[in-house]
Amino acid sequence: MSTKASRAAARLMISPSVILLLGWMLIPLGMTLYFSVLRYNLLMPGDNPFVGFENYSYFLTDPGFTAAIWNTLALVLGVLVITIVGGILLALLLDQPMWGQGIVRILVIAPFFVMPTVSALVWKNMFLNPVNGLFAHLFKALGLTPYDFLAQAPLASIIGIVAWQWLPFATLILLTALQSLDSEQLEAAEMDGASPLSRFRFIMLPHLARAITVVILIQTIFLLSVFAEILVTTNGGPGYASTNLTYLIYVQSLLQYDVGMGSAGGVVAIILANIVAIFLMRMIGKNLET
Amino acid sequence: MGQITLSQVTKRFGDVEVIPPLDLQIDDGEFVVFVGPSGCGKSTLLRLIAGLEDVTSGEIRIDGTEATDLPPARRRLAMVFQSYALYPHMSVRKNIAFPMKMAKVPEDEQNRRIEAAAKALNLGDYLDRKPGQLSGGQRQRVAIGRAIVREPAAFLFDEPLSNLDAALRVGMRLEISELHERLATTMIYVTHDQVEAMTMADKIVVLRAGHIEQVGSPLELYRAPRNLFVAGFIGSPRMNFIEGAEAGAHGAHTIGIRPEHIEVSDGPGRWQGRIAVSEHLGSDTFFHVHDTGLADVITVRASGEVGLRHGDTVALTPRADQIHRFGADGLRL
Repeated sequence: MSTKASRAAARLMISPSVILLLGWMLIPLGMTLYFSVLRYNLLMPGDNPFVGFENYSYFLTDPGFTAAIWNTLALVLGVLVITIVGGILLALLLDQPMWGQGIVRILVIAPFFVMPTVSALVWKNMFLNPVNGLFAHLFKALGLTPYDFLAQAPLASIIGIVAWQWLPFATLILLTALQSLDSEQLEAAEMDGASPLSRFRFIMLPHLARAITVVILIQTIFLLSVFAEILVTTNGGPGYASTNLTYLIYVQSLLQYDVGMGSAGGVVAIILANIVAIFLMRMIGKNLET
Repeated sequence: MGQITLSQVTKRFGDVEVIPPLDLQIDDGEFVVFVGPSGCGKSTLLRLIAGLEDVTSGEIRIDGTEATDLPPARRRLAMVFQSYALYPHMSVRKNIAFPMKMAKVPEDEQNRRIEAAAKALNLGDYLDRKPGQLSGGQRQRVAIGRAIVREPAAFLFDEPLSNLDAALRVGMRLEISELHERLATTMIYVTHDQVEAMTMADKIVVLRAGHIEQVGSPLELYRAPRNLFVAGFIGSPRMNFIEGAEAGAHGAHTIGIRPEHIEVSDGPGRWQGRIAVSEHLGSDTFFHVHDTGLADVITVRASGEVGLRHGDTVALTPRADQIHRFGADGLRL
């Protein structure tokens, strides 16, 4: 794009998609903001008067709100820790030359292709079910009492399910990063007397820093809005034990038919996501600069 | 100390024998250059000595102690890689300190050695930069610095100058030679460039397909190449080979004569030819002479500027005492 004419043409050409995208984002955002300041409950038809920040104060003082915030954070952090630690270990393993490498790699990546509702249902009914689940059978075979994961440790179970889904993604990104490491650097470190552990600590880990940053950023965006896994397994319960912010908004707007409250919750979620994003960029964004 | 002995060392990758049984003796303080065309196994041989590859059979001794199965770190060798292999996330200082940190050298001693290396290699101003901010020559120096601070028994260089431009290469060549004079440590240097081999080496090892073709000082190789391969590989431009009746007249299957040992003139001479290309370098002029009836091309060097040009017919006279004679098996007679 050097000449004035070509720049103008370029702007004209990309304008339809820019306008479409802007409309797609701005109209729902505007309507959410608008609904969030109305008393708008589908169970009470009639006019929808302007109530200012009433919805927000109700949402923020809701007994489920604090629990939902902590659950959201625990879910995001728990899954991040499991996927990054597990992803690094798996990537190190898969990077070794072995027989059937191609098939093993496809198998490892497979969970990522299973849609969240399906994988959560598979986990709920085939693994975690206290009567028929594989874990129940395993416990019984060992002479132990089956453990009702989803009732006793609902949040931990959901963290496990979500981590299982995201582990392939982390593994894939970290594996490609590992493969791009110059083997002469590792050999140089070997000549310099570094043990395998020091080679990992001083050569591989710094090399992976950028890939880990990418994994953290992308996963955080998606993990803040985990929903399907909660809906099909615990329904946010028992109590609020596995309700995250997304699920709380769903409960408010669709189970209680309160459009105003739901919208207010949505706006709160947007603000929180942005706060998290700013913190993330501050903390690790510098890793992405060259 | 840095005496390295290879006896009956072999290396196979699967069914492919890269190094057939090979014996080599490298004395303490020697500058040894492994030279050969690409794929001749010279880098593999270096990596066997370094311990980065396992030998298939045979024995490697360093300073008289068996080192065949020692891990690389315990062979007291330092290596400079072709890509320099600097650690990109560490500053120059930390790169140089890394081997000492791994060896748990005390901090004071580390700093002393870093300062000494930085002074020796002119790295003082760059110690706090990252490798990415350095030029090729500076990176090369950092890689050498990282090798020096370990005070190794021998240095291994794997084509260290091949990523540098021509001018820097000449400069670094001198620096490495000076470094060798100063440290008097054994150095093993791998290159495919025979000019590097000739200018730097105490001892050149010419390799072809894993075989040692000849071992000797640069001038020994230049004066008395043992076979056609060494004769053609050492010397630039390469030696002219002449077969047939002319060779028969000298009682050989092939005779070799270097371009600098042929006199060129426009008067009468032993051979006649027509100049196809003349390359004027100022100090020297190289003529590619065609239609001599001896070989496709005869390359001739004349000192300084000569008033001969493309298309001229010239007379060539070889210096009789500089003719190398080879038998039908390619060996020197």
